[in-house]
Amino acid sequence: MALVKRKELSLAEKLYLPEIARGLSITLTKMFGKSITRQYPEEPLPTTAVTRGQPRLVERQDGHLACVSCGLCEAACPAYAITIDGQETDRPIEREPERFEIDMLRCILCGFCEEACPKDAIFMSSELELADYDRASLVYGLDQLRRQRPALQRRIDYIHGINERW
Amino acid sequence: MNTILVWLIKVLIIYGGLLGTAALMTLAERKVSAWIQHRKGPNRVGPCGILQPLADGVKLFFKEEVLPAGANRLLFRFAPALTALPAMMTVAVIPFGGELELFGITTKLSIADLDIGVLYILAVGGLGIYGIILGGWASNSKYSLLGGLRASAQMVSYELSMILAIVAVIAVTGSLDLREIAQAQAAFTDWNIWRQPLACGLFVVTMFAETNRHPFDFAECEPELVGGFHTEYSSMKFGLYFLGEYSAMVVMACLATTLFLGGWSVPFVPEAHWLLGLAAFMAKTACFLFLYIWVRWTLPRLRFDQLMGLGWKVMLPLALLNLFITGALLSLTGA
Repeated sequence: MALVKRKELSLAEKLYLPEIARGLSITLTKMFGKSITRQYPEEPLPTTAVTRGQPRLVERQDGHLACVSCGLCEAACPAYAITIDGQETDRPIEREPERFEIDMLRCILCGFCEEACPKDAIFMSSELELADYDRASLVYGLDQLRRQRPALQRRIDYIHGINERW
Repeated sequence: MNTILVWLIKVLIIYGGLLGTAALMTLAERKVSAWIQHRKGPNRVGPCGILQPLADGVKLFFKEEVLPAGANRLLFRFAPALTALPAMMTVAVIPFGGELELFGITTKLSIADLDIGVLYILAVGGLGIYGIILGGWASNSKYSLLGGLRASAQMVSYELSMILAIVAVIAVTGSLDLREIAQAQAAFTDWNIWRQPLACGLFVVTMFAETNRHPFDFAECEPELVGGFHTEYSSMKFGLYFLGEYSAMVVMACLATTLFLGGWSVPFVPEAHWLLGLAAFMAKTACFLFLYIWVRWTLPRLRFDQLMGLGWKVMLPLALLNLFITGALLSLTGA
């Protein structure tokens, strides 16, 4: 059994007053310190190229998606969040998705789809906010997933940089 | 007719000011605590969150009123009023300033000038504790009952030291009239904080205990007693307790200003304009109000036996000693 030896308090310590004054002075100086609050909706956290947000589809400059609906991302997805129906086109790139849905409630933001994609068509964006009033509206279709290339450029460059190292 | 009108206007302004200050205190409490903890505090309602108390009030009105099973219905409803009412009544005798002349009418800046203002405040203010005890008892809840019991024990212990501290001030001034006490401290060097420093210290400490504030808030004591006496209270009944508590704090701060900081006297400016005097009074009161908040967010709560020990073994002997020294000096100098 351990015996705790308590220190004999000096008069100043017994009076408590000096320590109370010290505590008060600490809180007073802290009062004029800088606030560390981040006012979230107005001041979001900064994102980087490494930020793995929700997956988005890349739109080429001609306005068509880069996706050829090969289904590799669908197969790679561990959460079965992706559903793709393909269709043929008259353009030199012969295939495009007719339906491309990601169930954002199932998506676990793992980035496997991004890795699986052979066509640089799907990338993890820096978009992180996800909220709605019902589940159905959180199954994102083509319209919600489509992004111009510049919006994803930072991530695209980052992934290309990684791939070059292999 | 004219005197009644003037009197009515004074009542309206002073009570409006008291309630407004009490409401702003709830905001100030949250703001200062936020600053001390490096946060921002409420800043959404109105500019810098200035309308937050209003939003809180509206919220309280819309809350459900809960009457606990087995509660004493009459006392349960009556108790919050019994806490709020005395706190608001005591402000009547606080002299906020000297005489002022406005629109050809000369009047004094207080609702009533009682010859025994100090006694009135102590007597009426002491009634506030009944609201807490009755509220705790009527709730039919062990936490409330314990909170009420603690509050009563604490109030009795500290009221004694507080009165003895005030008696020393009264002995120095020779009057129970708050206006005369303030007038006796017209010069900066005559302030009772210099003439009665120990009494001032004792009064400030007991002031915290009397208003159930940290580090003496044993009536509430949320870690041990959930919410103490107001555990079972909800809606505006809780709001009334809250209002009463903050009003009592404001009145106590006013009383401390009058007793020890010279009331409306402006340092180094004799014969100051009444507006300047009023501003000085408010600034001094604000200092005490800030002290309340500052101490709350600095010190931890005492243990209950430590509180009683401090009250009976330290505060009371010190108050008696102070009174003895004051009396001895007064009789020796023959003043």
